[in-house]
Amino acid sequence: MGTLKALCYINQFFAGLGGEEMAHEGLHVYEGAKGPGIGMEGLWKGEMKVVRTLACGDNFFNLEQNYEAIKDQLLELVKEAEPDVIIAGPAFNAGRYGVACGKFCELVSDTLGIPTVTGMFPTNPAVGMYLRKTLIADCAETAAGMRTSLPMLAALALKLAKREPLAPANVDKYLPTGLRTNEVDDNSAAYRVVDMMLKKVQHKPFVTEVPLRKEELIPAAPPIQDASKIKFGLITMGGLVPKGNPDKIKMYAAESYGTYAIDLSTFNKEHYESVHGGYDTTAVNADPQRLIPYTAALNLQKRGLIGSVAPYFLSTCGIGTNVGMGKKLGAAMAQQIKADGIEAVFLTST
Amino acid sequence: MAMRLTRRYYPVTELKEGAACAYEAGVLTVNYDELKEVAKPYGKNIEKLWFEVCRPNENARIIHVLDTIQPMYKAEAPQDWGGKEYPGILNHPHTAGNGVTNLLEGFAVMECAALPWDESNASSGLLYPREAIIQTKGFYKHYTPFADTINLICNFEVMADKSSEEYDNDIRKSAMAIAQHLAKLTAEQEPAREEVFDNTPVEGLPNVALVWMCQNQGVYANTLLYGLPIYDIVPTLLEPNEMLDGAVVGGNYVWPTYKIPSYIHANGPNILELYRRHGVDLNFKGVIFARSHQPSNWHKDRCGQLIAKIAAQLDCQGLIMQWEGGGNAAIDGMLVVQNAERRGISSALLTFEFGGKDGTEGQLLVDDVPEADAVVSTGSWERVVHLEAVDVAYGGPVLRLEKERGGLFPDAREAIDFETNVHMYMGGNQSGYSRITAHAY
Repeated sequence: MGTLKALCYINQFFAGLGGEEMAHEGLHVYEGAKGPGIGMEGLWKGEMKVVRTLACGDNFFNLEQNYEAIKDQLLELVKEAEPDVIIAGPAFNAGRYGVACGKFCELVSDTLGIPTVTGMFPTNPAVGMYLRKTLIADCAETAAGMRTSLPMLAALALKLAKREPLAPANVDKYLPTGLRTNEVDDNSAAYRVVDMMLKKVQHKPFVTEVPLRKEELIPAAPPIQDASKIKFGLITMGGLVPKGNPDKIKMYAAESYGTYAIDLSTFNKEHYESVHGGYDTTAVNADPQRLIPYTAALNLQKRGLIGSVAPYFLSTCGIGTNVGMGKKLGAAMAQQIKADGIEAVFLTST
Repeated sequence: MAMRLTRRYYPVTELKEGAACAYEAGVLTVNYDELKEVAKPYGKNIEKLWFEVCRPNENARIIHVLDTIQPMYKAEAPQDWGGKEYPGILNHPHTAGNGVTNLLEGFAVMECAALPWDESNASSGLLYPREAIIQTKGFYKHYTPFADTINLICNFEVMADKSSEEYDNDIRKSAMAIAQHLAKLTAEQEPAREEVFDNTPVEGLPNVALVWMCQNQGVYANTLLYGLPIYDIVPTLLEPNEMLDGAVVGGNYVWPTYKIPSYIHANGPNILELYRRHGVDLNFKGVIFARSHQPSNWHKDRCGQLIAKIAAQLDCQGLIMQWEGGGNAAIDGMLVVQNAERRGISSALLTFEFGGKDGTEGQLLVDDVPEADAVVSTGSWERVVHLEAVDVAYGGPVLRLEKERGGLFPDAREAIDFETNVHMYMGGNQSGYSRITAHAY
């Protein structure tokens, strides 16, 4: 195999054009390596070289009309150089530089299908924008960390150029994209959990394998002012359906819900059942009103305690459903009943 | 005073049929008529019992799997109060964990049965046995130890019109009787090796407990402690050695992915790991045993508080949280971690994760608390499971799938895909046995 070819993108500062005062500078083209590319070539030990370096001022590149004006020229310059990989930055924690790197990488990989890699500090605002669009090496916060950041970027670039599969993010030192794959680890979960616990006890550093999610607090709805004027609905996550499960709602990890009219003459065990896979449904199967207390709601209406109750119910199975799907189903249910003038619900879980 | 248990291991390297059951130098000879006689007193509701053997390196699939047992025989126990093997199942509920226990190693007794799906049995959406599958080749073999053991498969056909309680009881006791009979063959023989389990504390090391919360939601979804289901149990403290002698037996057949077979209860990967580091890096203070699926907020609160209190009573600095079950159980586990952390006990937990087809859909965990910052992933159960075709199926000719949609019954040997790993025996890896995990890319 001949020497592999990389094309680099950098900003005005790393091209040696100047600092903030030169951020308006337009496109510069250099044959060979410039700035960080020089350091990376040393790390590749002859396996890959930088064939061309493109540089723009950060303010220039971030202005949409400038970007549009040079887009085609950029693609031509890339195509002509026939690189095996594109390397942008590293941008460290610089926001505008980060966006420019991400944008350039996205353009080239989308249009030409060439693999791209850039490098950023995890809190760089561009990370969120481009995480799934280009590979981002887990770099230092400032250029003072160039010495530790370059080897990571260089190694990732070489892997991409060789079309080698990437190792997990923590091994190959890039920012995780959210993709997670079931694999066989070197050690059992028991070995790892005891090890992690001991490190925690000893105040040694450890890395959790499942990242903490941001706590999401759901504010409680304001209390009902006057229930006697309001139409109520009935919703359950207890899996009550007409016998035969006409909508084929899944007994776990449900992805849908059903809407079923209530006719008191048939609202009984002969016609309804629960298909929920997570609790003993014997009591519900003996009487569906244990889950959807329609008669009880009608009594409240008769006594004037509630305005009215809708003569139907919404139902799904609340088990093994991931939070994303739960949100989706909940939002759809809310939209549907609101359209029918329902302002409050009896929500029965199990 | 700490318990002292000597485990004597008797490897099974070959299994053959013969005129009488015998064990000699790694060769286990079985006589099926003899085993049927042994099981007979317990099989009032069993129509038929027959045997198959699945050996290591076969390209096989075992289906309709219920419990799996490591045969053990209590060779020596304290005279007046010592319990026998799997205490409380075929013998008195006396305290296990002391003395000498003989174990057949590299060998398992496995129960398989297509239990009835009719109303009287599968009376509810939860409490019916879902298809449970072990695949012995490829990626999915890593879920269980049973691709590498010689498995004596006890196939049960049950009598019609009996209750699920009766089927459950008879199958468990029959298989236990068979396991006990085979293990007893090692009596008076020299073991290949032995191991002593003694958790006498060593000064200056951090104290650590394992919390083990098990499923108990009704027949077919039970866990037994000294022979009884743990319906109303409040958290209780066990010596690790009691677990090693089989004081806890698994009877969960409703969610195979969450299944912790008795074999694994008696060889708890976390227990063995904590023992491995006992006296070196930590003091293994005990197993705080409780029920998962606490039925109300009040119960959950009380359970989490009591477990943290017991850990504090043991003067623990560290705690491992392990649970059996899905979302409901996860909430209980997270509350334990929260309560323990609030009392200054460093906690780590293991859990399966969600994340949809590739990790990017929805949330990874069904529940968490800010204190849960040390989490080991036992893999995602939402990834598509692709099982390759196999040469041979044990336990039955067809899979039984999708009961709630009327049932699907494909050939048990064919390649098949599942949307999740729900049918994979021990697929949730909640015991910590498997090396399968979700790696971030």
